[in-house]
Amino acid sequence: MMQTLVTIFYALAVVLYAAGALTLFAYFLWRKSWQVAIGVPLAIAGLVAQVGAIVSEAFATGWSPTSNLYDSLSLFVAFTVLLFLIFARQYRLWALGGFVLLISDFFLAYAGTWNEGYRPLVPSLQSYWLAIHVPTVVAAYAAFMLAFCTSVLYLVKYYLERGHSGGAGLTSMGLQPAAAGAAAGGSMAMATLVAERTGNTVQDETPGLALAAAQGDKVAQWLMGIPSLAKLDVITYRIIAVGLPLLSLGIIMGAMWAKEAWGAYWQWDPKETSALVCWIIYLAYMHLHTRSQWRGMRTSWISVIGFAAVIFCYLGVNIWISGLHSYKV
Amino acid sequence: MATAAGAERLSPLQSLYAEFIDTFGNVLFAVSLLVVWGVMTLIGVVVDQGKAPAAYFNEYPAELARAILRLGLDHIYHSYEYVGLIGLIIVSLAVCTFKRVIPARLPPLRPVLVDKIPLHAFIEARGTEEQVRARLERFFAKAGWHVRRKLFNGVEWTFADRHNWARRGVLVAHLGFVIIAAGTTLYWWKGYQGEIAILSGQTARIPQNGDLLTVHSFNYTIKPTQTRGGVIYQPVDYVSDLTATSPAGKTERDLLRVNHPLQFDGIAYYQASYGYGVTFRMTQAGKPVAGVPATPLLEGDSFPLGPTGRAIQYTQFVGTIDPKSPSGIGADPRPFNPGVVVTVFDGAQPIGSEIVPLGHAVDLGGGYRLEPASYRLYSGIQYRHDPGIPLVGLGALVLVAGVCISFYLLPARLFVRLEGEGERWTVGLAAQTPKGYTMYEEQFAGLVAALQRSEEATAT
Repeated sequence: MMQTLVTIFYALAVVLYAAGALTLFAYFLWRKSWQVAIGVPLAIAGLVAQVGAIVSEAFATGWSPTSNLYDSLSLFVAFTVLLFLIFARQYRLWALGGFVLLISDFFLAYAGTWNEGYRPLVPSLQSYWLAIHVPTVVAAYAAFMLAFCTSVLYLVKYYLERGHSGGAGLTSMGLQPAAAGAAAGGSMAMATLVAERTGNTVQDETPGLALAAAQGDKVAQWLMGIPSLAKLDVITYRIIAVGLPLLSLGIIMGAMWAKEAWGAYWQWDPKETSALVCWIIYLAYMHLHTRSQWRGMRTSWISVIGFAAVIFCYLGVNIWISGLHSYKV
Repeated sequence: MATAAGAERLSPLQSLYAEFIDTFGNVLFAVSLLVVWGVMTLIGVVVDQGKAPAAYFNEYPAELARAILRLGLDHIYHSYEYVGLIGLIIVSLAVCTFKRVIPARLPPLRPVLVDKIPLHAFIEARGTEEQVRARLERFFAKAGWHVRRKLFNGVEWTFADRHNWARRGVLVAHLGFVIIAAGTTLYWWKGYQGEIAILSGQTARIPQNGDLLTVHSFNYTIKPTQTRGGVIYQPVDYVSDLTATSPAGKTERDLLRVNHPLQFDGIAYYQASYGYGVTFRMTQAGKPVAGVPATPLLEGDSFPLGPTGRAIQYTQFVGTIDPKSPSGIGADPRPFNPGVVVTVFDGAQPIGSEIVPLGHAVDLGGGYRLEPASYRLYSGIQYRHDPGIPLVGLGALVLVAGVCISFYLLPARLFVRLEGEGERWTVGLAAQTPKGYTMYEEQFAGLVAALQRSEEATAT
């Protein structure tokens, strides 16, 4: 009965996410408000169905649904969609929804191929840490995936903008000369971003882009509808600022669990060390983000590389490399 | 030129020190070390660690295997290069903390050119200078800012700080990393670990501290489960009934399970693995052959095949021999139709292997016959003495606290200067944060808008 419920909720979530992805992808292209009005409820409904699948799975097995790759991928997708909804609401990032939901749906469908049905827990997984360590790490992965999406959007916009601003003369570091600060009206003259070369910031829209948009260039007009590069950079930073502490906590809790189960908090297991590699990459991101000349394009590339490392750690190590984490979590 | 002249005045030692501080205090240098650390760690993920040389030659082309062994990539995490790199990172971290982070994060109060700071605004205010200043200070204090005044060359400035204490977040995070490193070093210095296999009903001694461990019995539970891929035989529990006795005579009896270690005499004991010890009988022309151990052998153990120079290895225990399976080994690991895989070695070279049913003899040639006679379960117990654990735990806590403080609390400083005379003043307001301006753009806009509304309300 419960397994049937799991299957129904799972299939429903796959379908709803796919429909939400299509609708929000349409919004990415055409920016009609009705597309958000339909796409977001579809995403929320998909999330609700997925939570239903996860809860049913927990009831069916009697333990935290985090014991195999199907479970953890399912949780990963749920966290990704949840984080997306939170950040998109905060920063009007709905245009990104098509990509986030599409990738999430792909992962959820892929998760289904790893669903072997009920199997008992191996002794090392019979611990309260299963319900703490795995969701924490998976939530971190979800944050990194969202950061990957915003970084890719940043890079797409950055390179397209460069084409529209003539490219030459603009820096390769995401800094643009003298994007005029907007006067905020009244007696307050607030230069929001005076992006001189020495300024400690990334650029807002480029003048070339604004000009092209005013002249009716469709791509430029479309680009103007995407959050500014400066905002995308800040959003990416804030998402990684959610992911990195979660990953740190996850690694630490994993070490505590490893000490209980295997007798040592760190065994240089491929999973542990590849998680450490991810941690190092995002740590480098955070350090480089303190330097103005690295913020923007370069840190976005680091975020993309970081997510590639996450995928290697999450799926590559589980599937191809044997180790202490070989139960495909 | 001034710098060059200054450098000339430095002694060689001072110059070296200055160069050291410049290099190790550089964020890009620190990030470069992180990149190298990441790459070296990744190599250890991809290349199996701690295997016998033959395993690398089996897995990789000979030249690559030789390179792996020659470069020490088979034990990269314990190589001098890796440990040295972590040492360099800690030095860089310490120099960055004390020479860069602290001075940059705790800037002194100083006047600024308001309109040269990207986040700035000008607001009209009415009233005497003191009234306006008092009003501003009330406004900021009410919004949770810590307000201070200071005179610079006769010009009075108001400064407001928010989350000023959080400027130490990076310092706290770095400190956590150093504490973890100290805890790990303490283990390397004073700690030890090992694994010991004890047959059911036998006693063994821990060599490092002399503790005696007696395994009264060992049991496991395997639960056959039907999955979509077929029946799997999953172990769901294994447990040792164990008594530990210290050299001083203290004893403790416990059921040792995975995830439930026994803490005894400063050592943690863990249920790590289990297996089958097998007793062998060997004869030649019907007579027992000397040199065959009388005690059960564990998987991987071997003994000489008489005076032939060859050796017999007990390679694997087979719970269920299944003639229908291509390997002859059934999926069910429980000893329903048990046997053992034995391998004959000529020197280091395996020359043949066979599954031998328990209680049956196999002909090895030359009149030699080998019979796996009986089996007994053994419990694999891991032990570890790690005096660094409390420090590592504390360091992890401090590290996470520092990371959270750094990421979630954004310290900001406002610089406020009044210009004007009589009853008409222009409030120049600028903001700086340690994370750049973009990060604070929205909050600053909100603050300015609120301040402006407040001033407009006062004026009306």
